[in-house]
Amino acid sequence: MAGSNYQSNDSPHTAERWTGVILRLGVWISASLMIAGLLVAALVPSSVVPLSANPSLSEVMNHLVSSSFDPVTLMFAGLIMLMLTPVLRVITAVFGFAREHDWRFVVVSIIVLLMLGGEILYSILLKG
Amino acid sequence: MSLLSFIFLLAGGFIAGTFGALLGLGGGVLLIPFLVMVLGVPMHQAIATSIIAVIATSSAGAAMNLERRTVHIRLGMLLEIGTVFGAILGGITANRLSGTLLTKLFSGLTFLVALIMIWRIQHNNGRETVHTDGMLPGEFTDHGSGTTVHYTVKNLPGAMAISLVAGNVSGLLGVGGGIFKVPAMNLLSGIPIKAATATSNFMIGVTAAASAFIYFANGHLNPFVSCAAALGVLAGSMTGVRISRKIHSRALTWVFAVVLLGVSIQLYLK
Repeated sequence: MAGSNYQSNDSPHTAERWTGVILRLGVWISASLMIAGLLVAALVPSSVVPLSANPSLSEVMNHLVSSSFDPVTLMFAGLIMLMLTPVLRVITAVFGFAREHDWRFVVVSIIVLLMLGGEILYSILLKG
Repeated sequence: MSLLSFIFLLAGGFIAGTFGALLGLGGGVLLIPFLVMVLGVPMHQAIATSIIAVIATSSAGAAMNLERRTVHIRLGMLLEIGTVFGAILGGITANRLSGTLLTKLFSGLTFLVALIMIWRIQHNNGRETVHTDGMLPGEFTDHGSGTTVHYTVKNLPGAMAISLVAGNVSGLLGVGGGIFKVPAMNLLSGIPIKAATATSNFMIGVTAAASAFIYFANGHLNPFVSCAAALGVLAGSMTGVRISRKIHSRALTWVFAVVLLGVSIQLYLK
């Protein structure tokens, strides 16, 4: 890749700006969910209904969709949101680089995304 | 979880995050010994908790650094191919190893980190050589001097190899890996420390996410422990960044290097 004309920080910074926004949003949303879960668990201990010892991603999502906002579900939702934030950041970078017409880094970002996607798929399969 | 445990977790996370930021560590190197040695949390669970804390601090810090434009986003994305691959392998391997073996490995890691900290104190003369004949040109404004620093990346394969190892250590032992990546990016690739630190911090969130789902799938994510510790580390790291200018970091680094050597021996004997 030596000598290639990469756009450095002189570029319109679309990828930088978009990924920054996504990271900030992801942290705020996940931290809010975690704080809400911990607060409800501390203030109303009887409301703690463990999902299971080792809940799957779909179990947590089903609880959220069915409005079972018990503290453990809220905490798991916050943790999953936090784990997904870097993945969303990579997806955003794909679009950011595409907007800058930097196709080489669109490909680089897609490679990272595919690896993360493979890891998530492996984890889902591992859970059965 | 009792209220006392919750307060301990929050406070422990806060202290680990604060000193982690002051010392240029991610927080995991301090958080894991606290969870294992003070609260008796199983090693796999401590690693999973640390990984969650690493994602939180990296994401918050990276958002700030992207705004300041100190992150070399293209270099970060490129090196993430190595760190993510290493972290996935590390995560899969860790979940096949016993907690005792992981504790011994972590003991070795803390020993190594302490040595790197001492080495950095002795070799930090404030001077940097910037190359402009490499690839992936980048620039940032040094707010201290008000100048714009232009640089390029040399020895990309070397940086990629170090990233692979750092990613593997991250997935295996739950730390960010910046302690290895930053000096390597600076010495091997000629990236200024400020840009190397910001780019490394930008990368470790994705690296940690690469193994987080594996720990989750293996049932090592305790929501109470992870949420309380991660929130504590997040608040602590923000505080650490704010007070870092007022603290004499050289003396602090010496103290913590010695503390880490002690922690390493304690963990090994555990």
